[in-house]
Amino acid sequence: MPSSQTPPPGSTAVDPTAVRPTIADARILRVTPDALIATLRELKAQGFSQLTDIGGVDYLEREPRFDVVYHLLALPTRESSIGDVGAPARVRVLCGVDVDQEVPTAVALWPAADWAEREVFDLFGIRFQDHPDMRRIQMPDDWEGYPLRKDYPLRGPASERTPRPSFALKSNVAAGTPASGRAAAALQKQLLEARSREVKTAAEAGRTAQTGVHPGASVTAGDASAKELAERPVNLNTKDNA
Amino acid sequence: MSTIAPSTAGYAVDVVESTDGRMVLSMGPQHPSTHGVLQVITEIEGEIVTKASPEIGYLHTGIEKSAENLFWSQASTVIERMDYLSPLTNALCYYLAVEKLLGIDGQIPERAQQIRVLLSELSRIASHCVWLGTGGIDLGALTGFFYAFDLRERILDLFEASGGARMHPNYLRVGGLAQDLPKGFLDKLDGVIAMYEPRMRDLRGLLQKNPILQDRMIDVGILEAEDAVAWGMTGPILRAAGIAYDVRKAFPYSGYDRYEFDVPTRTEGDAYARFLVRLDEMDEAMRIIRQVRKELDTPGNWQMTDTKFAPPPKETIALSMEALIHHFKLVSESFRVPAGDVYQAVEGPRGELGYYVVSNGDNRPWRVRTRPPSMYNLQVLKKIALGELIADMVVMIGSLDPVFGEVDR
Repeated sequence: MPSSQTPPPGSTAVDPTAVRPTIADARILRVTPDALIATLRELKAQGFSQLTDIGGVDYLEREPRFDVVYHLLALPTRESSIGDVGAPARVRVLCGVDVDQEVPTAVALWPAADWAEREVFDLFGIRFQDHPDMRRIQMPDDWEGYPLRKDYPLRGPASERTPRPSFALKSNVAAGTPASGRAAAALQKQLLEARSREVKTAAEAGRTAQTGVHPGASVTAGDASAKELAERPVNLNTKDNA
Repeated sequence: MSTIAPSTAGYAVDVVESTDGRMVLSMGPQHPSTHGVLQVITEIEGEIVTKASPEIGYLHTGIEKSAENLFWSQASTVIERMDYLSPLTNALCYYLAVEKLLGIDGQIPERAQQIRVLLSELSRIASHCVWLGTGGIDLGALTGFFYAFDLRERILDLFEASGGARMHPNYLRVGGLAQDLPKGFLDKLDGVIAMYEPRMRDLRGLLQKNPILQDRMIDVGILEAEDAVAWGMTGPILRAAGIAYDVRKAFPYSGYDRYEFDVPTRTEGDAYARFLVRLDEMDEAMRIIRQVRKELDTPGNWQMTDTKFAPPPKETIALSMEALIHHFKLVSESFRVPAGDVYQAVEGPRGELGYYVVSNGDNRPWRVRTRPPSMYNLQVLKKIALGELIADMVVMIGSLDPVFGEVDR
């Protein structure tokens, strides 16, 4: 639903990395999955000895859809003072990946890539070729879907949510504020549905009692017909209910 | 040969076979010495560890996903919950990244920067106090815990005074701070500074020279410099292996280049070296705090005057139409950040804490990726545990100092 918080169309960038202002945080390289390992190996040979991080980004509407982002840092690999380390260079490798496209693993170059790649797989569903242990790391192994994808739902399906009318706040009940508008209609519908379910089970219980399968089963519906019960109006005035 | 199966359907712990005298032992995730919810599946031969496979994810709370769905300034509330032992460091790193994207990183008032430095160094001491206390308990040294936690308690009192909450003050904002330091804060700070040195003398006396602790830690979990770099180690673990990489020195932020401090390093690379490096780091942090304390007597601006990012002072809202509009806009739809991406790192208590933040021009971040130092530090357990005694596993986990809010996020 458009609201005041929805940005006007055309104001946001589909590929933010393409329009970034100059920020001197790293040298940036953009590669395809085919050229990735060769690039990383060359960078490592140039002295980028540490893999700082691997992260994923989902751009949803962009082609290719995902970026796998490698941050590298040029650290000395033997004992060294502050002067030796200096201000080490940073480089960022952005590797565009599409859905169902695989990325070669960097575990052979840096053992640190192991968990980082597993996390990208777990949360974005991007697979890494030849990874020694490609399974989920944060989510349970039987989880469905990839939570950090932009099309992953933020809440469960409506049918699994607890019905919770918006006006049933303590303060409203205390003040006797009657329900109004859409909320009331929605609650009415929920209550009717719940009641007809109740009636149905009651009717079934009655039937089994009559046939003698469960002689002890109680018949809650009593003499009132199921139809009558379902159509009984629901009083939404919280004051009366209280 | 018993194996930990490269599982595709189920946890590796399901497979426990033993045909050649090796045994698969699952440690955690409820074990008290794992400092949180860590499970380590170990394969042992006698008492020697032949394989260790940490399983994480028990505390995954989807913080990165939550941050994408909050306003830029709201996201720090969840981000502070990652490394819950030094929340301010997380918030600081995130805000530095946002300020870079906004292009206002050069305009942060000096006093705001001083307070940011002060609080992140206090966080470092508080966080190392937890490590020191709980790490001692792991090895049976119970007394140190009370001394360390008492010191931490005084620092948490300072956080409470600054932002209103002990653990997650949410005190920083884009462009500066939420408010100035309250009255009486500096007196409390002086109290902490005064108690620090005698307290550390006690703690060092209790723990550093303790022959039992030395026996347990020296030559345990050795990590060479080259491996430390390859495994992505940063912070005290990297410095205990001899490489003096400190983000505060290499990529100074918030005016760290104005303060004098050393970067303690050791060359042994074992658990005891990490222990000593962290202790020395606490002293260096206090050295910085003393320098900042001198500057704090001069009052100054604690927030940028640009009300496009920071809400105008409360008093002006009733008097100025403009202030009211700005306040309303900031509360109801926040500010927008120009499209782009940036990587920002700070030196957290556990190492290089980084944020890769992507904005698509909207009022919410498009992506907030954390570079969690704890996760990389913990991963190296797979390497350093090989050939060690199973009883030393506790020492090694303690010396890596993981925080699971950050490992699992």
